[in-house]
Amino acid sequence: MSRPVWSLLLGLAVVVGAAGVWAGRVPQEGAASAANLPPAPAVGHPAPDVALTTVAGEAFTLSALRGKPVVLNFWATWCPPCRAELPELQAAHERYAGQVIVAGVNQMEPPASVAAFAGQAGLSFPLPLDARGDVSRRYAVRSLPTTFFIDRGGVIRRIQIGPVTEATLAQALQTIFP
Amino acid sequence: MLPILQIGPLALPTYPLALLIAFWTALEVGGRIARRAGLDGDHLYNAGLYGALALIVAGRLAHVAAFWSAYRLQPGEIIGLNTQAFLWGPGAVIGACVAAWYVYRHKLPWAQVWDAAATGALVGLVIAELGAFLAGNGIGAAAALPWAVSLWGTPRHPVQLYAALGLALAAAATVWVVRRGGRSGLAGWVALLGWGVTTWLVEPFRAESATIVGGLRTLQVVGWAAVVGALWGLRRRSSDR
Repeated sequence: MSRPVWSLLLGLAVVVGAAGVWAGRVPQEGAASAANLPPAPAVGHPAPDVALTTVAGEAFTLSALRGKPVVLNFWATWCPPCRAELPELQAAHERYAGQVIVAGVNQMEPPASVAAFAGQAGLSFPLPLDARGDVSRRYAVRSLPTTFFIDRGGVIRRIQIGPVTEATLAQALQTIFP
Repeated sequence: MLPILQIGPLALPTYPLALLIAFWTALEVGGRIARRAGLDGDHLYNAGLYGALALIVAGRLAHVAAFWSAYRLQPGEIIGLNTQAFLWGPGAVIGACVAAWYVYRHKLPWAQVWDAAATGALVGLVIAELGAFLAGNGIGAAAALPWAVSLWGTPRHPVQLYAALGLALAAAATVWVVRRGGRSGLAGWVALLGWGVTTWLVEPFRAESATIVGGLRTLQVVGWAAVVGALWGLRRRSSDR
């Protein structure tokens, strides 16, 4: 092709490309569009509701926490990486008290074992008991620990499979608590 | 969706496995094209491996710098195995610089390396997109279309397959240019053009995109810039003749 033809193509690419980029931009009501999606364990979807009883015997309902960012962690006492990350979650619970809700859903363990472990580890954030594993299945938790970061509108913004560290927790919190 | 590949007692995460296969395939294809152009294919392997190593190290160091207040209290985490503790953007820039330094250091011809690396990268990206489709990563926007795939109760654009198809066509065009034996450097520009057009076309169909000002999709803007850059490169080549 001759140079003028290439120049013409280049000019077209600049103009048509810019128009395409403008037309393809994310709508400003992007967050609201999540409301049209069904609840699912996926980024951008509303978080499936959780209604469980905590190890302290209190009711824990995720939908009742709407308006506050939530860090929903799935764990078990027999899982070493879970045990390693729990102090980080406890620290975040203390640091962001009243601003971010941290909750640790325990997967299918006897309440007495969970209570004993929580006392030993000094955990003071809510520990809902998923006795039959229904919530874990609803959240498609395939390995422990798994943590969902849910924004004020109840939409999942990040999913971390594997343990959080203080640094990865700080990074993930930016998505729900800027 | 097949996020985990269960082989007997072994559970392998599909997407990281696909990325590993994609990287190896990219090096293999790039190495073959380099050999065809009369280069030592091992050089391309080495540049790719050094680049990948630099990407990992720089990605972690960037994460350390960004979240220093956390690492200051847990310095052991700087060399921790947490796969989430990386910033891939800065890592990719440093990785590319290290690979380019290797090419410069060994006085390899830039045009031939560009052809080989770009073609290999396109083939690798096809595999990565297929892996993303299987794992349910980078999902498409909701769509009521006969070919939509249902994920979590919502029919969606199979956007990873769109991308894989576009990139495969671009790779085929690039390989055709290589086999035709045109001037060196041409295949690389064709590959960049194919990647840019595919990204520019496909990105708006993704459910989630990183954005810059005004909701503009970052990758679509990069794709557009790649198209303009590739056409500029092709125009320059035509005027050199």
